[in-house]
Amino acid sequence: MTAHDHDHDHDDAHDHDHDHPHGPHPTREDDDLELTYSEARYLAMRGMLIKQGILTGDEIMRRLAVNDLASPHQGARMVARAWVDPAFKARMMADAKSAARELDIAVTEAKLTVIENTPQTHNLVVCTLCSCYPRSLLGEPPAWYVSKAYRSRAVREPRKVLGEFGLAFPGDVEVRVHDSNADLRYMIMPLRPEGTEGLSEEALAALIPRDALVGAALVDRPA
Amino acid sequence: MWPDAPRHALGAQVRILDLGKPGHVRTPLYVRGKVGVIDQVCGDFENPEERAYGRVGGARIPLYRVRFAQADLWPDYEGRPQDQLVIEIYHHWLQPA
Amino acid sequence: MSERLISDVGGLPSGPVPREEVPQLYWEKAMIAMFNVLIAKGLVNLDEFRRAVEQMTPDHYAGASFYGRRVDGVAALLVEKGILDGVELERRALAILTAGTRDHVA
Repeated sequence: MTAHDHDHDHDDAHDHDHDHPHGPHPTREDDDLELTYSEARYLAMRGMLIKQGILTGDEIMRRLAVNDLASPHQGARMVARAWVDPAFKARMMADAKSAARELDIAVTEAKLTVIENTPQTHNLVVCTLCSCYPRSLLGEPPAWYVSKAYRSRAVREPRKVLGEFGLAFPGDVEVRVHDSNADLRYMIMPLRPEGTEGLSEEALAALIPRDALVGAALVDRPA
Repeated sequence: MWPDAPRHALGAQVRILDLGKPGHVRTPLYVRGKVGVIDQVCGDFENPEERAYGRVGGARIPLYRVRFAQADLWPDYEGRPQDQLVIEIYHHWLQPA
Repeated sequence: MSERLISDVGGLPSGPVPREEVPQLYWEKAMIAMFNVLIAKGLVNLDEFRRAVEQMTPDHYAGASFYGRRVDGVAALLVEKGILDGVELERRALAILTAGTRDHVA
């Protein structure tokens, strides 16, 4: 085969994989970045798997499209709904995967647990052993979450780590760390800020930053 | 699926064992030997220590969330005495304490 | 006390948490999607992947980026299972890297 036997339309939805060894364009918006050894290894692996008939470029693209549906906004939608709808909140606390389905969010991890912050307890999530995170809901974790510094320190000095994120808690508040080390995945339900009584569910969701969903930020009242 | 040993009950005191098992395990060193309480009984899951070597579809074993006082995990803990940590531990790493 | 796995970093001393946002690159997303497809087909599982990462040498683990470790972990598993030929994989990866272009996927 030649180096140019695929089209360059960059259209994920219309790749023409079939019998070609490499299917759709394997890259897109980062084409101007220098190729690294890791990316070259990925491309080599992908090419061989397709050539050997183990998977197709279409399958990768379809999965990519599914993965792209996950984002912190989906978690924020669940939290905002729970803030305004106590019955939904009760269902979410009992079975977060089923509650997510009510909002057309497909959570594929084995078990999703929502943990509620209260005025007495602030919760923080970490995966010390790797990078467990509710990816099918929130997408890929932020770089800080997978850093060795966070994984090492969050369990031993959570208040110092939270301080680096600009969060300080009074002496009577409990800080509770959740090591997401096995089969469960966690999302934090942050405290609803004061002064948001009149806001719509959508407006409430828009207030919730990504990092609040694992306990590394608070939700500020609207400016 | 889990006939052999009684399950740990919510609120029970448990000690995390140090099984000294080589290879892939999900019980980090920092909790081994420590005493906590069962915070949640999570259901039964396949053992990752088997799955990590391609042995899938095996028996499901109970998984718990165990809660510790931070001061019990870290002798030099600098936070507040009420601070806690919760972690998932499989049944065979626990014994009543 | 048991030997510490390289992934078992909870409680170890470390510096400030890096707060710089690092947007995910396209190939990284595509690689994750490929990994998801391999899992869905039952060819690899997440626990095997974690084990493969833990079997890296400490220098390799510390020196590789987060997504670099993912690529290397998946590659090691596929070679271990006889799904991919490791020599051929390296030959192709080097050829792609030398060509320096993403068009050379052959």
